[in-house]
Amino acid sequence: MLDRFTQKNPAFSLAGLLLLALLGLALPIQASEVDTLNPRDLIRAAMEHWRGVTSYSEMTMTVHRSEWQRSFSMQAWTEGDKLSLVRVTEPKRDAGNGTLVRDQSMWTFSPKINRILKVPSSMMNQSWMGSDFSNKDISKSTDIIDQYDHRLLKTETRDNHLQYTIESIPHEEAAVVWGKEILVIRDDFVMLRQEFWDQDDILVKEMNTTAIEFMDGRSIASALRMQKLETPDEWTEMTVDAIDFDIEMNSNQFTLSNLRNPRQ
Amino acid sequence: MTGFKLHFATIFVLSWRNLWRNHRRTYIMLGAISVGVWAMIFMTALMRGMVDDMLDEGIRNLPGHIQIQHPDFLDDPSVVNSIDEPDGELLVALNQAGAKRWATRIKLPAVIASERESRGINLVGVEPDAEADISGIPEQISAGRFIESNQDQGLVIGAKLAQRLETRLGKRVVVMSQDPDNNISERGFRIVGIYRAKMPGMEEFNVYAARDTLQQLLKIEGRVSQIIIVDENFRDIDILYQKIRQSIPASLEVMPWYEIDTYLAAMFNMMDGFVLVWVVIIFLALSFGLVNTLVMAIFERVREIGLIQALGMRPALIVYQILLESLLLLLIGLGIGNGLAILTVKPLESGLDISMVAEGMAMMGASSTLYPSLTLYDMLMANGVVIILGILTSILPAWRAAKMDPVQALNTT
Repeated sequence: MLDRFTQKNPAFSLAGLLLLALLGLALPIQASEVDTLNPRDLIRAAMEHWRGVTSYSEMTMTVHRSEWQRSFSMQAWTEGDKLSLVRVTEPKRDAGNGTLVRDQSMWTFSPKINRILKVPSSMMNQSWMGSDFSNKDISKSTDIIDQYDHRLLKTETRDNHLQYTIESIPHEEAAVVWGKEILVIRDDFVMLRQEFWDQDDILVKEMNTTAIEFMDGRSIASALRMQKLETPDEWTEMTVDAIDFDIEMNSNQFTLSNLRNPRQ
Repeated sequence: MTGFKLHFATIFVLSWRNLWRNHRRTYIMLGAISVGVWAMIFMTALMRGMVDDMLDEGIRNLPGHIQIQHPDFLDDPSVVNSIDEPDGELLVALNQAGAKRWATRIKLPAVIASERESRGINLVGVEPDAEADISGIPEQISAGRFIESNQDQGLVIGAKLAQRLETRLGKRVVVMSQDPDNNISERGFRIVGIYRAKMPGMEEFNVYAARDTLQQLLKIEGRVSQIIIVDENFRDIDILYQKIRQSIPASLEVMPWYEIDTYLAAMFNMMDGFVLVWVVIIFLALSFGLVNTLVMAIFERVREIGLIQALGMRPALIVYQILLESLLLLLIGLGIGNGLAILTVKPLESGLDISMVAEGMAMMGASSTLYPSLTLYDMLMANGVVIILGILTSILPAWRAAKMDPVQALNTT
């Protein structure tokens, strides 16, 4: 059931996923800003905030199915929203598989075949390692500003935080299959929930933040779960075990040669 | 001369009367020949119809009778191997070649995605005006409309693909491919039309958009994958092909349909041989009956043949008489057989529904309606084979009859 390519290269949508987790790094907005807030600015502010931010993190991904469950450990480096590198460390048979994302382009490396492959467009739609993350709507999360019309549905207060519910409808020509997406974002920019609705207004899948932690000085969504509504006993969970921000990044960190020959 | 005429009149009368002497046997033989000839012509017409259909469909899927493209395009149909839109000399040459229609198109592998599924497809960017002549898709639209202009922003997909993607008319899908620099190009398209192809396989595979829209998406403004040329009839395109080949620059490759798809060409060329083999096989079965009838007719008349020989009829005339008998039998049988074949094929020419076996036919590239095609060539071939081989197989019994010793023959009881 798993695609051979993605099985060997378990990392590439991690980059995008990490960006989603990073949406959580921001300073709380001032109350005065809230009054004039429009949803587009809210999302932009979140993104602006981590532009240029570097990070190193260790994560675990768990893919759950009715018959089995599998976990992967991985390391990830990011710089801003364009550059990321992810490498699998556990289990052993997948260790060393890496993915590099530079802007729109994506390369994968598998030590077993000792080859770097550029991921072609035809593979962007595939589910990743049999998980419930599809490469596309996750690795493209930065597009959410320009390709959608955003509307603030409601604002509510919960756990001492303001919570914004934003409806995002893709433009006619946007490369987005969904009819609409609904985002729930906290005032410190932690993304609480993302819903994917089809064009008949049926909820297809949702991503929920199941844990929020204060790590290295910032609030981040430390556990995310992606779930398709049609298959309730199948889900994928992503947890951030450790994260360091503003680290010193080698100038060759996001290069093909570093993808092939790790220097860390 | 008068002698020959007299002789001929005599042996004709003899043959004719002999034929009806044992009329039951003659009727049986006539029945066998008629059914045999009917089977030859009827089955040939069915096969012709099927093969013509496969050729038509195959050429529509290529598409076109002649294609002009980058020399590497057929091996690697990527957007890198595109050509400039025709202008200058090439444009003049194309317009003056006298083809029924020509058009440019973009063709490349792509991925289409709905909310629930994604599939690999063949993305085709068309000039919609010419498409009715080239692929025939505009006539196969089952819902919505076809692409209406070169700048149309809509997408037309097959009914089967829509089903696989769990999407439908009016919904948005995303199409992804790569531009010449290997960057991902993608955008959303609204489905404006659904088509039903004769072959379900094509329905899942070909997705149509407007040419200029795809040029923008792929960042290849002014470039196309192919120039497609169609003429009135795919059978005689050689003159047009030579004309076009002489007028295009060497950097482009021009190919007629029979070189692009050699399987289709082989099918086309093998058909005549196939018809001959089929006709001969049926004739072989028939010939046993024919020879047997003649041999029996001769055995019954041993005394009689001996007598006319003794009275002075020359052996050659006996051979002629028996051959004529056989010829008359064959001619009557052919007449009935041809008549039967025409009577049965003509009403079916409007189409024979074979949807019971449509799945298998689709695999072969034929559609579920069979249009038998009765050609003069096939009828002449069947009749010719039956007459020539029939006479040849009759020579042996006739020759044996002529070689009889009149004395022995007269004494046979």
